[in-house]
Amino acid sequence: MADPRRPNKIFRYKPPNTETNPTLEDPTPDYMNLLGMIFSMCGLMLKLKWCAWIAVYCSFISFANSRSSEDTKQMMSSFMLSISAVVMSYLQNPQPMSPPW
Amino acid sequence: MRHLVFLLPALLLLLALPDTRGRYNDDFDDGEDIAEFDDNDFAEFEDVSEDPAVDVEKEPPPRAAPSSTPIEDDEDEATVENEDGQDEFEDGDGQEQDMYSKYDNEEFEGYEKTNPSFKDTLIYREVPAHLQNSWESYYMEILMVTGLLAYIMNYIIGKNKNSRLAQAWFNSHRELLESNFALVGDDGTSKEATSTGKLNQENEHIYNLWCSGRVCCEGMLIQLKFLKRQDLLNVLARMMRPACDQVQVKVTLNDEDMDTFVFAVGSRKAMARMQKEMQDLSEFCGDKPKSGAKYGIPESLAILSEMGEVTDGVMDTKIVHYLTTHADKIESIHFSDQFSGPKVMQEEGQPLKLPETKKTLLFTFNVPGMGNTSPKDMDSLLPLMNMVIYSVDKVKKLRLNREGKQKAERNRARVEENFLKQTHAQRQEAAQTRREEKKRAEKERIMNEEDPERQRRLEEAAQRREQKKLEKKQMKMKQIKVKAM
Repeated sequence: MADPRRPNKIFRYKPPNTETNPTLEDPTPDYMNLLGMIFSMCGLMLKLKWCAWIAVYCSFISFANSRSSEDTKQMMSSFMLSISAVVMSYLQNPQPMSPPW
Repeated sequence: MRHLVFLLPALLLLLALPDTRGRYNDDFDDGEDIAEFDDNDFAEFEDVSEDPAVDVEKEPPPRAAPSSTPIEDDEDEATVENEDGQDEFEDGDGQEQDMYSKYDNEEFEGYEKTNPSFKDTLIYREVPAHLQNSWESYYMEILMVTGLLAYIMNYIIGKNKNSRLAQAWFNSHRELLESNFALVGDDGTSKEATSTGKLNQENEHIYNLWCSGRVCCEGMLIQLKFLKRQDLLNVLARMMRPACDQVQVKVTLNDEDMDTFVFAVGSRKAMARMQKEMQDLSEFCGDKPKSGAKYGIPESLAILSEMGEVTDGVMDTKIVHYLTTHADKIESIHFSDQFSGPKVMQEEGQPLKLPETKKTLLFTFNVPGMGNTSPKDMDSLLPLMNMVIYSVDKVKKLRLNREGKQKAERNRARVEENFLKQTHAQRQEAAQTRREEKKRAEKERIMNEEDPERQRRLEEAAQRREQKKLEKKQMKMKQIKVKAM
């Protein structure tokens, strides 16, 4: 069997253009990022502890689903925002969270 | 708030003074000495006469007050103090009676009725939860933190498992790929086209590998699409709806490497879905997915083809053998010279161009194990990669006969016509707007001309052009009328 390799016929890798095919992209990390920011703002402004905790969870989920090409600064900023929301809620009102039931 | 808390025990301590004095009696043996010491304070006021009636009334309030102090003061020592207090009441009773008998009865005229109300107005406030020295009240927070820790643990475990699976796949396929392609592994960023020899990690669950430098094809992109093991939510969702890891192979071909045909084979579900989703399959393969029993492939697989000749050409013995032995692992196989991906949702008002097509072979394989894969399962995908290489060579050799080619060309022309008809209205609008813009531009030019003579001349030229156009149109209409007649 002849060698099928042809070094002169090498083409470089071109990452698929995601602008033309938006359906191929997974929207989860972006949604979770947005949700996390909204919840942390709610938790900070309305002083709701459960909002702040959900924001922490959202930022974790967003991080887990993120692409490696995405900016780590964005992830870190949303993460820090949610942590600050939790800390601020507890500083203002140290009482433990009461369950809804 | 905090000040009140500190004041309260201080106040109660004052009230409990007689009680503490009683306690000392228990600790020391010579209680009499202390009693004498105490009596000496009030010795000058001592009145021998005892009045039991008055004392009875006086006793409930002191009893009530000291008994409350052990409860409020310090929870840890509550029970001990209480018992002590109760014990000492018996011992200290006599002393207290002595104390209260010293007071003038007339002092307390009209005072008796208010004493019982003392007990009713005393409200026991609960200490706020965050001031209690117990972590139990923070159980919701502890739950949350435990949940977060569980998520982090799952992230680390899932990420490692995916990474191990990817590495196992690459190790088992490396030899085959390196013997077939000059370039194995490229991320597109390096200046020179050298093999990186490793997978390109896009995500924690998606790994890419680009291979190039072979006869019969431009390049091959392999995507290892694993399950999102690193996301706990996904893990829980998969418990309801099982899914499996997938390996997707996309071979892009040069124009001379493939004849014009569209063909697909795969599981029935996948074929039904792809026929609706894929642009080329929906346009060229109009019939419902057919069973491949005629060719000897299992019933679980279905075929979508542009024409029968294509199916006959593709389904040779070797491909049939591959399909039969690995039917459970094959999700879909798609050969197309008009591949443009899934149907794109068209926005209103956008003049549409035919989507760009590329000659492509697309393979989607399911990794056995349905989620519970181990690195050893990756070896079972090796024969499928052999099938991919064989298909690439085969497609190069597969040529339709004259009839087939004509049919194929007619199909493509038909599709293009349909597309043009659909967008006819849109294109007309676009042409109209372009014409109007041209006119406006011309008019502006005429207006901007300073020289009046030149202006007049340009205007006349424009008028003449318009007249010519009208005449042409009239001629055309006449011709059409004549033809119709």
